Amino acid sequence: MSLALILIVAFSGAIITYLAGKVSSKLRKTIAVVFSLALIPMIALLFGKNIETPLFEFLGLRLILRINNLAWIFAIAISILSSLSVIFSLIYMKGKEKVDFYYFMMLFINAAMIGIVFSGDLVSFFIFWEMMSWATFLLISYKRGPALAAGIKYIIMSIFGSMAMLIGILFILNTQGTLIISQLAGNINLSLYNTIFIMILFSVAFGVKNAILPFHAWLPPAHSEAPSPFSAILSGILIKMGTYGFILLLYVIVGVQKLLSLPGFTIVINILATVTIIFPTFVALIQEDAKKLLAWSTVAQAGYIILGIAFGTSLSVTGGIFHFINHATFKALLFLAIGAVEYRTNGVRDLNSLGGLIKQMPITFVAALIGACGLIGVPLTNGFVSKWFIYKSLILNKSPFLAFFALFGTWGTILYSFKLIHNIFLGQTPEKFKSIGRAPFSMQLPMIILSLAVIIFGIFPGLPLKAINSIVVSFGLESLNINLWGLASSTGALNTINIFTAISAGILLVWLLSKLGSKAKSVNQDDTYAAGTSVPQDRYHYTVEFYKPLYRVIRPYLKDIVDIFYTLLADWIKKISSKLRKIYNGYVGNYVMYIILFLAILIFVQLKWSLW
Amino acid sequence: MDRNKLIKWIKTPAKMGNKYSLHAVYFCTGCGIIEIPPTITTRWDAERFGVTPAATPRQANLFLITGYVSLKTLKSIIRTYEQMPEPKYTVGFGSCPINGGMYWDSYNTIKHLDKYIPVDGWIAGCMPRPEAIFIAVTHLWKMIDNDMADGYKKYRNNYDQYRANQEKVLGSLDWPPLFK
Amino acid sequence: MHISEIILSPLLALIVGVFFLGLSRKIMARIHWRYGPPITQPVIDIIRMFSQKSVSHGNLFNFGIIFSIAGSIAVVLFIPFGRIHPLSNSGGLLVILYIMLLAPLGIALSSGEAANPNSSIGISRKLLLTLGYEFSLLLILLALMTHYRTISITEIVALQQKGSWSLFRLPLVLPGIAYILILPAILGVRPFEISKAPQEISSGPMVEYGGTYLALAKIEHAFAIVIGISLFVNLFLGGANNLAFFFLKVLLVFILGIFINAVFPRLRTEQAIKYLFGIPAFLAFLGLVITVLI
Ligand code: SF4
Repeated sequence: MSLALILIVAFSGAIITYLAGKVSSKLRKTIAVVFSLALIPMIALLFGKNIETPLFEFLGLRLILRINNLAWIFAIAISILSSLSVIFSLIYMKGKEKVDFYYFMMLFINAAMIGIVFSGDLVSFFIFWEMMSWATFLLISYKRGPALAAGIKYIIMSIFGSMAMLIGILFILNTQGTLIISQLAGNINLSLYNTIFIMILFSVAFGVKNAILPFHAWLPPAHSEAPSPFSAILSGILIKMGTYGFILLLYVIVGVQKLLSLPGFTIVINILATVTIIFPTFVALIQEDAKKLLAWSTVAQAGYIILGIAFGTSLSVTGGIFHFINHATFKALLFLAIGAVEYRTNGVRDLNSLGGLIKQMPITFVAALIGACGLIGVPLTNGFVSKWFIYKSLILNKSPFLAFFALFGTWGTILYSFKLIHNIFLGQTPEKFKSIGRAPFSMQLPMIILSLAVIIFGIFPGLPLKAINSIVVSFGLESLNINLWGLASSTGALNTINIFTAISAGILLVWLLSKLGSKAKSVNQDDTYAAGTSVPQDRYHYTVEFYKPLYRVIRPYLKDIVDIFYTLLADWIKKISSKLRKIYNGYVGNYVMYIILFLAILIFVQLKWSLW
Repeated sequence: MDRNKLIKWIKTPAKMGNKYSLHAVYFCTGCGIIEIPPTITTRWDAERFGVTPAATPRQANLFLITGYVSLKTLKSIIRTYEQMPEPKYTVGFGSCPINGGMYWDSYNTIKHLDKYIPVDGWIAGCMPRPEAIFIAVTHLWKMIDNDMADGYKKYRNNYDQYRANQEKVLGSLDWPPLFK
Repeated sequence: MHISEIILSPLLALIVGVFFLGLSRKIMARIHWRYGPPITQPVIDIIRMFSQKSVSHGNLFNFGIIFSIAGSIAVVLFIPFGRIHPLSNSGGLLVILYIMLLAPLGIALSSGEAANPNSSIGISRKLLLTLGYEFSLLLILLALMTHYRTISITEIVALQQKGSWSLFRLPLVLPGIAYILILPAILGVRPFEISKAPQEISSGPMVEYGGTYLALAKIEHAFAIVIGISLFVNLFLGGANNLAFFFLKVLLVFILGIFINAVFPRLRTEQAIKYLFGIPAFLAFLGLVITVLI
């Protein structure tokens, strides 16, 4: 299967879907699903291959497509996740406007992302990168209104990042004479300052996409405004393109040995990563919009991934890459679950006005619960294993403070995940939501698949870890002793099967024990204890200010200084522009006058000092 | 523990459990509640009989109604009683729940509590001393032993009648019938 | 790992835990100058609760509490009791730290479905309290793990048996003191009884539990006590070579806990958080800094 063919299929899928939409909506749906599903086996077949095919010459530079284990893992995650969210969209998007455009963009972004991971040189990387950025902008601001503002915020920061990347690429071209990644790898020779310079440029580009802390400001509004299935892609995969870029930069282009010898590199990355973990976690805690909460949590989880990848031991890199896959599964799962709730409740995402939906939407609840468990890292979910890897490497390599922040962030995660689950699905059901139905099957299916992935990767982490281990080895790090149920090691092994057996045996035992007691009568939610009175029918659900005593303590510190700074900057630019507007006031006469004045000055200068 | 008791424990653990672990909802309606604090604290120490206050009716099996019952509290009493898990025992405390006591001619207290919920035993007096509570508890033990404390069964069997009585004084009740 | 150990250790934990529940009531009574219930009172209570006909609010309500005890049993398997440590080689302290989550999570989910605001308030308080003590606990555990350079709890116990108890080792003294200061919060006894608070929010998460569920919740509480204290004993008091000695240490720590429980009133949630983020956190932090520097 050639790589070009996959890309052609991916891009043509987008176009054909768009055209089919003009004929009938049914045809459009079928084609969108078929094309996005078709990519999965095509990419899956490439497993373990190491191909590099030149595409064509462009301005004297060879464009190259290639695949290796790293690219494969990202590509398969992209294709699976986007086909799941296309399936989810089938009903979610029903009756919305500009559906054609939506599907076109979904498939187009999918194709562009595959292009990014397949590209074997920095030019095609940049081209696909820009395609993805612009398409994302269009899809974020698809709903107009506040969505447009969110999209503009995104695209401005994104352009800023792209410019930095472009300068970096040109710099590499100038100093190294080639942009082909496999030729750069290993034998790049830059002076110390040039390395730092390039690192900064690329870090800005990838940091914006990955929403690392000073560049995170676009992400929360973008997530909450985008349609839910797209939020799943955005959070699960799209921002991870930044992670992919980081891995490429750190381990392939610059090389890990050189990296760790850079002065200050570890300190800077560690500070960035810990701040990215802690601050957004606590911001997420005070959010009242379900999707904003998840968006902030995405920022925090990106911190874990970067921490794992940049720490540079084989344990931590394995953990980081695994956490990327896991985050893609459980965060997409959570977004889809919220999307299903949103669909059934006619767009209610406010955590304070939902409640008790477990009776109405049991499968969505289970999916959301599994997603939240993965997010927390409860044992037997995949999030646990990847975090375990990262923590262990941090602890054993004498960075207990980093480990502390990472672990403490997890406890914050518990708080907001439970708030999310509790406020939506537990507690009292408001009267108006009592009659809503279950999520339709095409929405449940992606959620079920993702939940299974969370659980299976949690119980048999060896499946993905073996593939990841080969990537880590290809970076020149030592190989780990991975087995199907975790890790064998003398300094503390991991055995998920044992945990699984212990817990399931425990459940069985206690279940039998509970059968000893007399059978319970089931009652409905109105029959709860309220000091002898009957429970008020509607709003008797403890949600607003769920962690009030904590909020009081932390709220003053949770101002998003960075966002405030950006907003001030934007205002300032606006002000300057309006000043400029006084000069460019649209009268042709004035412009003619400016030109004549300018010429007069030139002539004056020439006559006086004869510079030319 | 003597042999008889041991045999009883093996034969009827549920009954013995209920006997020696009476977790009580003290329904503080009237003056009688003033006798409860000394009863459960240092002076008389009800806990040595296994009698302790329960936090909610769901966790309790003994219902102590300590004083006069106005119409408004009757509603809460019925609801609380219905929320308690079976088997459950009710004890009326003081002469007011028995026959109205000094509120016999009041316009908004009920005179006979056992018209509305089944009552397994009474402690007479206005107000009874804590010792009387212990006598009541030991008496309740005997009744449980002999299957005489079966108020909850009575309530189930004659629910329609109880419900009718309740609705007669309270008007319509805003919860569905417990048994159908 | 022996199959008999796998059965023995949860059973032991259960028996000891229930015994502790009874003992605590007796000791509390004696401190109050009362006679107190018989020491078997919790067993009687549990039998009574099992016999009662309870109400259920739904499947999660049933499953959550079962899941919670299963989580406790799993933790017990990972914690060494003297020489008995069936699974403690499958993941070490980090796994214990995470499986200890399952029990409160199960209760939180289960009581969440009961649609009673009291239970929601209780859970919210419980999670906040957890966040509070976990701040110090994480620092303490990290100090231990850095000092002994392992994440395996059996290793830590073995190293203590060779040398002195962690509590009396130089860099670990401060974390040890911090651990003692937060131990009441971990056990949820009186100054930190904020999540149950029977007089205030009607026993919080347990408000809708009756009958079987309440019995299971009691059992879970028994497990939680044993787990909380055994972890401390293993990490700081050197564990033990045999069961009797181990549980003797656990008993002593527990009695200390009861004394604290008896003399303190309940704190408000903010006060509790402020306390937990105060002295214990500072001591633990200092301890970790010193451990890293040495
Ligand atoms: S019986 Fe006497 S003490 Fe009791 S409530 Fe009636 S009047 Fe008050």
